[in-house]
Amino acid sequence: MNTIMTKFTILALMFSLVSLVGSSRAEAKLAVVAATTDLASLVSEIGGDDVSVDAIAKGTQDPHFIEAKPSYMTKLSHADLVVAVGLDLEVGWMPSILRGARNPKINPGNQGYLELGSAIDPLEVPEGKISRAEGDVHPFGNPHFTLDPIRMGVAGLALAERLGELDTAHAAAYMTRAKAFQKRMEDKTKLWQARVEKSKVKSAVSYHKTLTYFFTRFHIQNPAILEPKPGIPPTSGHIIEVIQMIREKKIPLIMVENFFDPTVTNRIKEEVPGIHIAVVPVSVDGAPGIKTLDDLYEKLVSTIEGK
Amino acid sequence: MRSNMICGLVLLSALSGHECLAAGGVGGSKAFNPDISVNFLGLVLRDTRGSNLRTDARHNGISFQEGEMQFIADVDPYFRASALFSVAQKDNSTDFGIDPEEVYAESISLPVVTVRGGKFKAALGKHNQQHTHAFPFIDAPLINQDLLGTEGLNEAGVSAAALIPAPWFLELTLQALGTTNTKIFNSPGSGDYAGVASLKNLWDLSDSTTFEVSTYGTEGPNSGGGQSYVFGSDIILKWRPAEGGKYKAVIWQTEYLNGNLQSTANPRLSGIASWVQYQFAERWWVQARAEYEGLPPKATGLTAKRKQSALLGFFPSEFSGFRVQYDHLLADQGDGHAVELQWNFSIGAHPAHAY
Repeated sequence: MNTIMTKFTILALMFSLVSLVGSSRAEAKLAVVAATTDLASLVSEIGGDDVSVDAIAKGTQDPHFIEAKPSYMTKLSHADLVVAVGLDLEVGWMPSILRGARNPKINPGNQGYLELGSAIDPLEVPEGKISRAEGDVHPFGNPHFTLDPIRMGVAGLALAERLGELDTAHAAAYMTRAKAFQKRMEDKTKLWQARVEKSKVKSAVSYHKTLTYFFTRFHIQNPAILEPKPGIPPTSGHIIEVIQMIREKKIPLIMVENFFDPTVTNRIKEEVPGIHIAVVPVSVDGAPGIKTLDDLYEKLVSTIEGK
Repeated sequence: MRSNMICGLVLLSALSGHECLAAGGVGGSKAFNPDISVNFLGLVLRDTRGSNLRTDARHNGISFQEGEMQFIADVDPYFRASALFSVAQKDNSTDFGIDPEEVYAESISLPVVTVRGGKFKAALGKHNQQHTHAFPFIDAPLINQDLLGTEGLNEAGVSAAALIPAPWFLELTLQALGTTNTKIFNSPGSGDYAGVASLKNLWDLSDSTTFEVSTYGTEGPNSGGGQSYVFGSDIILKWRPAEGGKYKAVIWQTEYLNGNLQSTANPRLSGIASWVQYQFAERWWVQARAEYEGLPPKATGLTAKRKQSALLGFFPSEFSGFRVQYDHLLADQGDGHAVELQWNFSIGAHPAHAY
């Protein structure tokens, strides 16, 4: 046992050294890691040059199912702030990454962890008893609020407040940028709404309930979803029901979020040849040229217009 | 939904006599209830070399393979606790027993390092740290079963795992554990301890691909009065494309273990297992595994075993799965063939598995 204890003592000293190296790290800018590219874009907008920002989920990935890669733990190990969607969107992977990061600053409940879902008014909050027999239902509401420019304006204010608490020297700048972003989103939303109204598109089908906030904001009905239940892949029987609904309600458009397989719409195209089927990005960096939230909303509005 | 599941399980387990609140409405003292999950495995087995006695835990026919009940919560601002109890058939009996498979508390307020105390699976390779329901195949690799036992190296002790600042993921884990494992230690002295050291590296080769290399080892006293040494290494290549990653992935994993158990009847045993897992559709996986036990043949003095396995998995959701596996075992006692079907269900707030 003596040899073991000696080895342990040496390695314990190594641990202490490593700890000192880790704690002496100092970043000039506030280091922010966002759960998704949408949130990273918001952080860039509000934080400007006063923060550095990185994202975990790529714009082409389904944010429900991100693998908790150890490299993300390394990324979070020196973060000052983690910005998450919340509403249980990241429940399958964020807790593992936070634990693995071994960075107490960003533990939930501490100032270095922020869920923007708590700052907005969520849609589709289930009432009464729910179960997994209904699919992947989110108990705190639909988490895909980043596709609503107005709610993102509100989320930007909450983000600015937290950035200001962590970096008081730039608090005023964060809030100024957040208010400017909110104003821009409000102004642009009026223009986008006018274009959507002009398009005459009143309803659309999506693959998942990813676009609920976007559709709600722009007064587009979403009477059919290609998934029979949230998180459950389409079945042929359900697709037949969707085809019937498309015919009955004369739905002109299917928008398939780009991390899903669009080939399930082939059958619909055969049965309803006139329908417009579009594979759309639903996150920043979800497609070439979609570099900001403005680009993302513009792309979705253009898709409604048939462009 | 998770809160409702937790509430339902709390009722089932008679931990609470109160009525469940509405969705998302876990309030008052219930807000502090741990996340609870239950997982259970069923098995239908036909093994030409297997037992036909129901008193054997692994026997031909249908059986309840294992159940796991897990409770996880933060203790306070400094610690998090996890308690996982397994329910499985006792050997030489048709009765079932409950064992504390992993029960530990670990730090959440220390920078760089996670300190853990309790009973847990040792950091002796990726497979050794996985629970039965998360095994890549229905059974563990031959070398893990024969060298470490069916439960693997799982002991009471303390652990410290440090994330070393580096451009890649680099984690050093040191553990001091008890020596009750009957395969490699079985050292009854209460003052006997084994040391475990593990160094894990993982690189992101691209947004889609990671490469992991770990080395690990343990040393401790054994029942023969000598020292037991086990060391090993695993290499894992994972590919899941950043675009279309819901529908396809490949994992290639190889694990090697080498045991030198001085002063025991069978002092040398080593083996290697390598497998490929291919996800070819959203809910489907096909897998193949090749194993060799008895490296190096002359040094071990034991007959070598070889085994090939093939598996097809169907997972209706992340909470249920069905797997069918075929094994071909080649050993001196004769060839063996086995076909098994396993079902796997999870309810409650089951935590995500490690990458």
